[in-house]
Amino acid sequence: MDERPIAPALKVLAALMFLFLLAPLVVVVPISFSGDRYMTFPPSSWSTQWYGAIFADGRMVGAFWTSLALAAVVTTLSLAIGLPAAYALVRLKPRGAELLGSLFTAALLLPTIVLGLAILIVFARFGLLATFPGLVAAHLVVTLPYALRVLSTALSTLPIAVEEAAATLGAPPLTVFRRVTLPMMRSGLIGTAALCFLVSFDEVVLSLFMTGPRIATLPVAMYHRVEQQADPLVAALSVLLVVLTLAVVLVVDRSAGLAKTFVK
Amino acid sequence: MTAGTGYLSLSGLTKRYGEFAAVDGLDLDVPRGELVAFLGPSGCGKTTSLRMIAGLVPATAGRIVVGGRELTEVPTHRRDMGLVFQSYALFPHMSVAKNVAFGLEMRRVSRGEIAARVREAIALVHLTGKEEHRPGQLSGGQQQRVALARALVIRPSILLLDEPLSNLDAKLRDEMRNEIRDIQRRLGITAIFVTHDQGEALTMCDKVAVMNAGRLEQTGTPVELYEHPRTAFVAGFVGRTNRLKAVARDGALELAGQRLAAPSGISGTVEVMIRPHRVALAADAAVVAPGHHGVAGTVARATFAGDILQYDVDVAGQIVSVEAATRGGERVLEPGRAVMLSWRPQDLFVYASAR
Repeated sequence: MDERPIAPALKVLAALMFLFLLAPLVVVVPISFSGDRYMTFPPSSWSTQWYGAIFADGRMVGAFWTSLALAAVVTTLSLAIGLPAAYALVRLKPRGAELLGSLFTAALLLPTIVLGLAILIVFARFGLLATFPGLVAAHLVVTLPYALRVLSTALSTLPIAVEEAAATLGAPPLTVFRRVTLPMMRSGLIGTAALCFLVSFDEVVLSLFMTGPRIATLPVAMYHRVEQQADPLVAALSVLLVVLTLAVVLVVDRSAGLAKTFVK
Repeated sequence: MTAGTGYLSLSGLTKRYGEFAAVDGLDLDVPRGELVAFLGPSGCGKTTSLRMIAGLVPATAGRIVVGGRELTEVPTHRRDMGLVFQSYALFPHMSVAKNVAFGLEMRRVSRGEIAARVREAIALVHLTGKEEHRPGQLSGGQQQRVALARALVIRPSILLLDEPLSNLDAKLRDEMRNEIRDIQRRLGITAIFVTHDQGEALTMCDKVAVMNAGRLEQTGTPVELYEHPRTAFVAGFVGRTNRLKAVARDGALELAGQRLAAPSGISGTVEVMIRPHRVALAADAAVVAPGHHGVAGTVARATFAGDILQYDVDVAGQIVSVEAATRGGERVLEPGRAVMLSWRPQDLFVYASAR
């Protein structure tokens, strides 16, 4: 970072922006410690009962584990599919690589609701609705474009001479990839994993189309919960999720440098 | 030179990109233990040739043989060559020691031997004490030394150097130049040195292969190239030279109204070249030594540069640069002064004009 003095007006603007971004937290955190039966702000009494209530609610706990497993599987698959695809597009440069690249990321341009409806129609025919594999496939539709984009960028900024040097020193292609390319892509890989995980874990719209009484993800369960009863449990859960997300971000920052991962 | 006699032997080596021939029928033999420069302007095919030898670019046609082993179709990682890149190309995520050890690990050398050879290679390039540093913590010169150690430690059949000095500043460049040459001699390793800098090529290398537009113009020792350039391109690229137009007719050369003895077999408009410091300048028309060429001219500009005295002399409309080392006490002639230029006939290079 440059150490240039920042204009006072800019400081005020930045402070206001932060306030705006943090405003939901200012409301949600107090409500999560509410002693009331309904969401009111400010709460009339305080307690931690709603945190306890989350863990007593079997549906919520089940949905949490579903979401966690789903995000983990989706992240793993996104990397497993995205990495070879990015390598093929960037390094092997097939005819029309750019067109293919745009095509593969085009899904992001569609409104999620359109995507959800399309997936619903197709998956219904194969009996994938409200199944774990169905959810995985649906989430991959949105995470893969991200994975491909971030990994392609990471790969194309690598100096190719370093890989060539490894080859001249006697490393066969797979060893070059494992010992040189992959470690040099480290921050890109961690960034991709974090991005895919969070996108999958937070995904509501697609999941709404794909879930049912048999299976629900955490955001979907929360959505239904809010529809039915307006108690502060959801606020408590939100705070836990914010803490979880923060933990993920911190881990990424510690191991790769957040700026390096996302800005480059 | 007949193809196939060298330790490294290239025959008919060609690289085409569509219609464009980046390298066109390169024939070259490099004896064991020699340092040979590929010299030429950018885009002449020297780096492409090096990359074909390393196997990083597949050859369109031709053969690459090293020590009797045909390598043309062998993939890079089985060619056993050490390549030093212009950009160093070190592994940024590994320490200096790990960088150097990489090639040995690929060769499944025992751990104890790796440690010993890495230590030795790092000492060879004067980097002892920097083993645990990352490349990012080293200066450009140090990084290039690591790259050199990494390439040498595997005891490659051939050491390939791709403009290894061009990212270094002038002082470091001179230092590394001598160091690379010393190490190459001491280890008796066969090496190819790609450069666009004729100074580097002449001062470092046993032989120089001058390339232009994908073709080999001439191969020879630095002295051969400088004293007997076979083409106008070589004469112009290696060392400085005057380029003049003349007409060859009936075994004589007409230059500035004078008839000079000319090599036979050339006629029509020709290009003649002479190096500035091989021309003698006299204020007196009478002092042309017997057997020397002499032409009259007028001083157009005189420059006193301390250790040399430079004249631009107008010879019937063409400018000839003349240079002489100063010895003290010379008189600087003013522009407009009539002078006599003379040179030994063998210092004048005559080439059929390209159109």
